[in-house]
Amino acid sequence: MRMSDRAFVLVLMLPAGVFLSFFVAYPLFMLLRDSFYEVSLFASEERVFVGLDNFIYALTSSRVMGAAGRTLNYTLMALSAEFVLGFGVALLFNAMGRRSEILRTIFMFPLMIPPIVAGLLWRFMLIDNIGIVNHILEHLGIIANSSDISWLGDRDIVLFSVALPNIWLTTSFVALVLYTGLQNIPAELIEAAKIDGASALQRFRNVTVPMLRPVIAVVLIIRGIDAARAFDMIWIQTEGGPRFASEILSIHIYRSMIRYGNVGEASAIATLFMIAMVVISSIAFFTIWGRGTSKT
Amino acid sequence: MTASYLQRATLLLLVAIVLLIYVFPYAFLVSTSLKPPQDALEIPPTLLPQTISIENYTNIGQFPAVQRSFGNSIIIALLSMAISIILAVPAAYGIARYSTWLGKAFLMLALVTRLIPTVSIGIPLFAIMRSLGLIDTHFGVALAHSTISVPLAIWLLASFMESIPRELDEAARVDGCSRFGALFRVIIPVAAGGISVTAIFVFLASWNEFLFSLLLSSVGVKTAPIAIAEFKSQYGIQWGTMTSLAVLYSLPVIAFSLLMQKRIVAGMTMGAVKG
Repeated sequence: MRMSDRAFVLVLMLPAGVFLSFFVAYPLFMLLRDSFYEVSLFASEERVFVGLDNFIYALTSSRVMGAAGRTLNYTLMALSAEFVLGFGVALLFNAMGRRSEILRTIFMFPLMIPPIVAGLLWRFMLIDNIGIVNHILEHLGIIANSSDISWLGDRDIVLFSVALPNIWLTTSFVALVLYTGLQNIPAELIEAAKIDGASALQRFRNVTVPMLRPVIAVVLIIRGIDAARAFDMIWIQTEGGPRFASEILSIHIYRSMIRYGNVGEASAIATLFMIAMVVISSIAFFTIWGRGTSKT
Repeated sequence: MTASYLQRATLLLLVAIVLLIYVFPYAFLVSTSLKPPQDALEIPPTLLPQTISIENYTNIGQFPAVQRSFGNSIIIALLSMAISIILAVPAAYGIARYSTWLGKAFLMLALVTRLIPTVSIGIPLFAIMRSLGLIDTHFGVALAHSTISVPLAIWLLASFMESIPRELDEAARVDGCSRFGALFRVIIPVAAGGISVTAIFVFLASWNEFLFSLLLSSVGVKTAPIAIAEFKSQYGIQWGTMTSLAVLYSLPVIAFSLLMQKRIVAGMTMGAVKG
């Protein structure tokens, strides 16, 4: 039996293609369609077309907008902490040279911990009064009493507290990827800059960072997407509380779907969320990566 | 001389701090799980168990539903692994061997799925699974997990297959193998290493997944992470047992990860950064 290349490729890709169309593309189509309807989770056959009402609700409701703001806040907080710490550690490894090997292996450890375990672990360490973090802070004389900071109960700081496990878990990922990038920068380039009399800071700004730009782009985008999509780590710590203070978009959408059974509203918010993610990451991609490559 | 000594000391100090922050939380979790249950929340907290006890582990025996959830997680992860590998191996081969626009479009789409918030797929999937009668079944949850792992597997496998020399399939064709023969008799055995690494990744993706499981399972097929998360509400917070469950739940992930350290970072970026 003879078969053309084209037909063969088609046959190879067909099963995966059918699966992805039915379980990814079709759901996304349903999500978009349901955004225009009022649908209840409990009686999904009864649907009423409501036009743009769900979108208007999503964009005007203070609760949805609050969740969107917190998502942005949470993402920026986690991302900047991970990036600064991760970059620092990557530079440290790079300075250590080959002696960093054991350290890098140990540093991989958080990558191996399931997210909900990280969330649970930090929740345990942050419990007011009896948590080990406050206990250590009290010992160091930073706080007077171990009940002074209510990490997960204080609405003003809870968003930061729920970002802690995320930062802990993924700084190592950032560090290891950036380290690989640093290793790929030709040593002659740094040497040449040294001979030209560039200081360490100048070498960093004018050689290291530009050379690392594509890697930085990938790291920031991947980590940004994952932080913005976060659900499990926050859910296991606070379920979005206290009083919505750590409720980011994915938790809000889950709630409006499951607890309030409001499929139309949840779909509209989820659609907007998805569009925002695609737009923001495309912009990030083209500004960080695109600019770097067009220059060279 | 003194400057370099000082530099080395600072470096060492930095390293020590980094290590402490990194290893301490998990070590504390393991240590707490080995304390007697009533000591989990003792005041002041102690770093090491005063007396070592495995009671937190034996206590798990009192919660058959939690034990079942580990079984559910294993079944679902294996199912999703099978689905993903069966679908992704031929697709990745097609992408790696024949550079058609279709293959490129496929790879791009696989990457785009990484942008989609889980919850955006989860909401409509709930309705789809309900109409298929797959709510609260192993197969239903495994299918949902496969929406994450099929693109991941295609991406990883395509880069593995790129690295297999084309002469191999050409030789097989010359020797009279059909196109499928070349794939099954030559390529798959050669790519076995890459396929098993991918299989482990896919297994772990399912093992760690939370939101789909939460949406699509109720009583019957609750997975381990959901059971652990809900442990508090059902029985009051029993931190002792909770820590032992968390340790047990993370063991397979740690074990598998140690097996393939070098590939972890590559897998997490979906091979976007080549090491």
